[in-house]
Amino acid sequence: MSQTKSLNVDYNYTVVRLFAVTTVLWGIVGMGLGVLLAAQLYWPALNFDTAWFTYSRLRPLHTNAVIFAFGTSALFATSYYVVQRTCQVRLFAEKLAMFTFIGWQAVIIAAIITLPQGIGNSSKEYAELEWPIDILIALVWISYAVVFFGTLVKRKTSHIYVANWFYGGFIITVAALHIVNSMAVPVSLTKSYSVYAGAVDAMVQWWYGHNAVGFLLTAGFLGMMYYFVPKQAGRPVYSYRLSVVHFWALIALYIWAGSHHLHYTALPDWTQSVGMVMSVILFVPSWGGMINGIMTLSGAWHKLKTDPILRFLIVSLSFYGMSTFEGPMMAIKSVNALSHYTDWTVGHVHSGALGWVAMVSIGAIYHLIPNIYNQGRMYSIKLINTHFWLHTIGVVLYIVAMWISGIMQGMMWRAVNTDGTLTYSFVQSLEASYPFYLMRFIGGCFVVAGMLVMAYNVVKTIRANDGALEPVAEAA
Amino acid sequence: MDIATLHSIFTVLVFVGFIGLVVWLFVLKRKPDFDEQANLPFADDQKPKQQQKQESDHE
Repeated sequence: MSQTKSLNVDYNYTVVRLFAVTTVLWGIVGMGLGVLLAAQLYWPALNFDTAWFTYSRLRPLHTNAVIFAFGTSALFATSYYVVQRTCQVRLFAEKLAMFTFIGWQAVIIAAIITLPQGIGNSSKEYAELEWPIDILIALVWISYAVVFFGTLVKRKTSHIYVANWFYGGFIITVAALHIVNSMAVPVSLTKSYSVYAGAVDAMVQWWYGHNAVGFLLTAGFLGMMYYFVPKQAGRPVYSYRLSVVHFWALIALYIWAGSHHLHYTALPDWTQSVGMVMSVILFVPSWGGMINGIMTLSGAWHKLKTDPILRFLIVSLSFYGMSTFEGPMMAIKSVNALSHYTDWTVGHVHSGALGWVAMVSIGAIYHLIPNIYNQGRMYSIKLINTHFWLHTIGVVLYIVAMWISGIMQGMMWRAVNTDGTLTYSFVQSLEASYPFYLMRFIGGCFVVAGMLVMAYNVVKTIRANDGALEPVAEAA
Repeated sequence: MDIATLHSIFTVLVFVGFIGLVVWLFVLKRKPDFDEQANLPFADDQKPKQQQKQESDHE
């Protein structure tokens, strides 16, 4: 059991360590699967005519692996760390915390076993897992809430730091989203049917789907941002008042935006319009938060030159700003008419997932690892810098390829001749996208290479003798 | 009361609540009230007090 000297509080770092290390492992697995899928889209023969190796079965495994294995492990690790450090108290119900680790890994293993076999609910994107696994997820999540809020209750500080508000909002909302959307009637151990039907099913699914983005991939990682950006920059957040407005505005608005996934469908028109308007308004709190994070560096911009961890965190915020401008724009019905069902959507998701979520997580983990393993710094700062550039180049290649391909697809699909017939067949648009699929594959290789560099750096840091790695001279 | 009226009341309440929050934060509370909270990430370090103070005065 590890401990830290600060304030003589004996923090529980065991469960933080476990989640931090599995974050790196699942990052490599999930992103590696993404590269395999990108390769399959360029070289279709790579599915080897094997059912469980086909794109349709591996794609949900990829999304589940990056969101729930990589991203959520990072959230577990950092939230358990941040809640202890900012409440100055040891974790509540430590055995339950250990259960969340074992239970969550069991969920991931179960996903790896079932999804390639075609077991799952394919109409529920990002919620494909079958009902027995869904029940385990619910149990783990409720335990997570007990541990997190229990720790808040027994805190030694009078105030609950803003990062914990974001983590708390994320934990509560994800529990509600998961339980409501996963309501199903089981017919056997491996098959169930949703209790919802028709347009209601679609609306519930995208209420879940978009709020998985809003509360898991945004609010949770904003919690991370509000602790690790100030900590790494060595200065408090730019405006604490803005962070309070940011929290309430974000959670009040996000929950209404999901119907923008269903423009021009059987969903009532007014519901689509509500989703569009709410999505556009969301731009305001999103940018408020981004500015708050980036401006934390005001007066200390020079630190970006020497500190690649800070660079990861600040560039993640730039990608966050970019995605949260692009998102509201794509939610406008007339823009959506062009962008929907094209690669533009795929590019948008990845600028959020690889640019924002992955970069802020990677930065946080690089900050975390030395702190929980009694070291002054990571094994190699140079390798963090290498990782930063590999990742950045990879993400830029990826999203630029998808922007070009997506807008081109949208334009080709809507082009009509003077007699009203379609100018292009679907296959023609596919052929036009082909070179960009290679570009995406190359971008993905850069990202995974960066993750492998990270894994090496993390292993070397963990295996170094206690305290052998001295902090950098000009401490951040 | 029908559902539309309930929704309208809820919308107005949320709006008033939000305005109330902004007024509370920016009018009733002064900036120094939040300085201690903003420094919570550093509170459990063994840093000299002087250094923390210097760092917080950029806002």
